[in-house]
Amino acid sequence: MAPKELIKRRTALSANIIGFCRFIRQKGFRIGPTEEVDALRAIEILQPYAAPKDFQLCMKTVLCRSLQQQRKFDELYRQYWTELEKAVDSKVVESEGEGQKSKNSGTQQPSFQALKSWLQGNTQAEKEEVATYSAFEAMGQKDFSTFSEDELTEVLQLIQMIARSLAFQFSRRQKKAKRSARLDLRRTLRLNLRRGGEIMDLAFQKPPRNKRKIVLLCDVSKSMDLYSQFLIQFIYAFQNAYRSIETFVFSTSLHRVSQQLKDKDYKEALTELSQSVPDWSGGTRIGESLTTFCKDYASKMLNRNTIVLILSDGWDTGNVDALKTSMKQIHSKAAKVIWLNPLAGNPAFEPSVQGMTAAMPYIDIFASAHNAASLRKIASHLRKR
Amino acid sequence: MEHSGLAHIKDLLQQQGYVTEPSIVMSIFLAKQLKKPLLIEGPAGVGKTEIAKVMAKALETDLIRLQCYEGLDAPQALYEWNYQHQLLHLKMDEQTGSSLEEKEKNIFSDKFLLKRPLLQAITHHQAPVLLIDEIDRADEEFESFLLELLSDWQISIPEIGTINATHIPQVIVTSNRVRELSEALRRRCLYLYISYPEFEKEVQIVQQKVPGIDDRLGQQICLFMQELRKMKLDKIPGVAETLDWAQALAALHIDHLDKEIVESTLGIVLKDWQDIRQTQLSLSELFEKVGAISKLDQL
Repeated sequence: MAPKELIKRRTALSANIIGFCRFIRQKGFRIGPTEEVDALRAIEILQPYAAPKDFQLCMKTVLCRSLQQQRKFDELYRQYWTELEKAVDSKVVESEGEGQKSKNSGTQQPSFQALKSWLQGNTQAEKEEVATYSAFEAMGQKDFSTFSEDELTEVLQLIQMIARSLAFQFSRRQKKAKRSARLDLRRTLRLNLRRGGEIMDLAFQKPPRNKRKIVLLCDVSKSMDLYSQFLIQFIYAFQNAYRSIETFVFSTSLHRVSQQLKDKDYKEALTELSQSVPDWSGGTRIGESLTTFCKDYASKMLNRNTIVLILSDGWDTGNVDALKTSMKQIHSKAAKVIWLNPLAGNPAFEPSVQGMTAAMPYIDIFASAHNAASLRKIASHLRKR
Repeated sequence: MEHSGLAHIKDLLQQQGYVTEPSIVMSIFLAKQLKKPLLIEGPAGVGKTEIAKVMAKALETDLIRLQCYEGLDAPQALYEWNYQHQLLHLKMDEQTGSSLEEKEKNIFSDKFLLKRPLLQAITHHQAPVLLIDEIDRADEEFESFLLELLSDWQISIPEIGTINATHIPQVIVTSNRVRELSEALRRRCLYLYISYPEFEKEVQIVQQKVPGIDDRLGQQICLFMQELRKMKLDKIPGVAETLDWAQALAALHIDHLDKEIVESTLGIVLKDWQDIRQTQLSLSELFEKVGAISKLDQL
């Protein structure tokens, strides 16, 4: 086949294309041999017509898989070919590639550390009395594995329980049933096959119960630090216990993290999280974050089949009016709004925080969520309904 | 088909009255040449579905469409036996005394097979354009099932056997980004993002689709739409709305926009009560912008 020949020949162009593929792979594009072959084939098909602009567009079409990638692509493309031109003069292609790589991992480090220390923040508070405590040491010793397996398993079970109790709705489609108005012809036939086509027993169908969708909005600002460990478990477990869920985290701005959490193991998920959420443990601007949610996602994601779950303490340094308006909007579109507040676990708690007061009228269920025990309570509460 | 280069695709699209841009032409060209599905994302009403229709026309083949929805499952996308029909046939066949084999062969024949879009697509007499519309509405399970089909191009029906694709269809998958699609599906496809058109392009589209329209009115409508999209609306109107509006105004023999006309026809463009109210409140402001810009254009 032609592409194989092309690879074999390894013309200067195809070598450069492969080089470019590797370059953008370092920049976070998921590019494997399939994509490289596609790129080579595409270029081969295009060759007789290739104006530089078309060439670029062609690579973009073959190599990008999402809007975010498309947005990054042109700049990376420019970078690569300028560097390459320079390199042709000074022959330092390789070192350039490596330089980029280390720079890249360098920029990842701080945010990962930030999340790590955010998680460590909890331990730090607990260990305050220990005189010889050193933040640096603790970071080395204490890993994410400090979340014991047992703990995680229990939270997971509880969340599955909650998920199940949240999940009722009738859908239009039919499933088999003992007796009801609609005849299930397919099963009726199957049942009566042995009677040689004589219909005696009838089978019926009824609408199956359909799972509800959940949108999880989680506050990860500074004021929530104390509950960080639990929060992360909660988000992670919920995302993996429940198929139709979209997860967002916010402190000063909103981030969609569903994809980062899905089908990953715990540690992987944390790494991905740290890369995509730069403002862990920042200030809280619930109002602005929820407004972003309303603007970008609400009309698509919210309907009478969706439950919105907000995890926040309601401490807000931002715009209270914005919070109120967006809560109102969310409330009017979603089936149910549940607000889990870790502070509500305190017997002395009253929702007197400004933000909380503003949001209160638009909340269907308000409950505490600060540990596994409170989760258990929510689960049983929901089951009763 | 060596001559079907970029320019050729562009011509074909233009003949069909589709106002394109280079990235769309390139995506269609490569999807066709590399025989890969094309995944199109973008907001509602920018002409994602239209691409498939135009492509089918341009390639002179049929369009087979699978509209996805929540709870869509394999039988509804692939095939089902027509049980009622089979049953009736058996009853009628009772007196003829044909053998069991004959009967069986009879009732499990093409006549009783209800072909759903996916089976239709792979058994079509020529390679069709298969449009899988709004895949993000279907469940993830369906997405996985689709992936399998897109790689094997065969469907197995227990009563008949395995059906292999006679022609590999040109697949177009669209998504409104309600749900993030799986990495696996993305990797299988080429990716194209379409956003709302720039002013010039939108004017072209209007002129193309509403031939009788007054030039100035067309421009004003598009300017107004461009400004409207900058507002914080709940449902941002797409090109489809622009065209509806242009058609309506052209039919009313109106040659320029004024406040009264906009107010009375706003329901064509905005479908949400709050959006309409918000727009009405800032109508003068909108008009100032539209007016200012159109004056600039005339200079």
